[in-house]
Amino acid sequence: MTTVDQLVEDYLDQLEQELRDVPRARRRELVGEIAQHIAEGNAESEAEVRTLLDRLGEPAEIADEARERFAVPQRPRAGGWLEIAALILLLPGSLIPIVGWLTGAVLLWMSNVWSWRDKLIGTLIVPGGLSTVLFLGLTGTEVGGGICTGDGACAPDPATSGHVLRTVAFILVLIGPFVSTAYLAWRLKQARA
Amino acid sequence: MVAPGQDGLLSQMRRGTLQYCVLALLAGEERYAFDLVRSLSDVDGMVTSEGTIYPLLSRLRRDGLVESFWRESAEGPPRRYYHLTDRGRAALTGFVHEWGRFRDAVDHFMEGEA
Repeated sequence: MTTVDQLVEDYLDQLEQELRDVPRARRRELVGEIAQHIAEGNAESEAEVRTLLDRLGEPAEIADEARERFAVPQRPRAGGWLEIAALILLLPGSLIPIVGWLTGAVLLWMSNVWSWRDKLIGTLIVPGGLSTVLFLGLTGTEVGGGICTGDGACAPDPATSGHVLRTVAFILVLIGPFVSTAYLAWRLKQARA
Repeated sequence: MVAPGQDGLLSQMRRGTLQYCVLALLAGEERYAFDLVRSLSDVDGMVTSEGTIYPLLSRLRRDGLVESFWRESAEGPPRRYYHLTDRGRAALTGFVHEWGRFRDAVDHFMEGEA
């Protein structure tokens, strides 16, 4: 990829990122229009592309304008207690069965820092959070041994491979809430940067 | 020289009037976005960042003051053209009248200050 292409791509990526709390359809449309503007600018050299992007303005400035024109609440610059509370409730708080995780999920969706995709990830991995993991651990995956005969010899259970799969699935479910909460925390940090 | 606080004032005045400048540009002829944006930014003092015009165009479309349509272009991909709707024309006419009154009123008080 040439430097010129890279400049344009970085600019559009940054714009997309700045617009993350603008509804998806509007974000798509706006990024598409700016991309077309750049294409029509017919800038070929690196200097020409830089001038073209300079004239367009900072992505943050365009995003501020978009939020204002589309009546999207301006992004909170400080505070973020809602987001912190959401993260606490989604992970340690989810040990409180149902209520803990559910409150966290409501706060997650109330926040305008995370994008729709972030929220979906936070909700689907894993619904119920750690309570779900504990529940599955206590009921679903008893660690099975094998079939033992009277004389003490044990033969491998024909269902053992099923157990292995179930154990792997359980471990994935177990780390899921940690991974998704860490991801949300990372996105939060990015948004506040 | 820009006195303290006037920077914000200027951007507020631009914000309030820019959409009527867009409508006025479209009153005579239909234009495609790039051409429209450049016409606005080529006049000193109206637009500082060209990219900020696109959210405004989207807003005007949604409010039914302008309409857009795609037209094939000889030089590349199809272009999005804009034209004024009846509503847009009425809004522009109303603004032209009010703007004249407002400008005269301000000028009246500013006489001798310049």
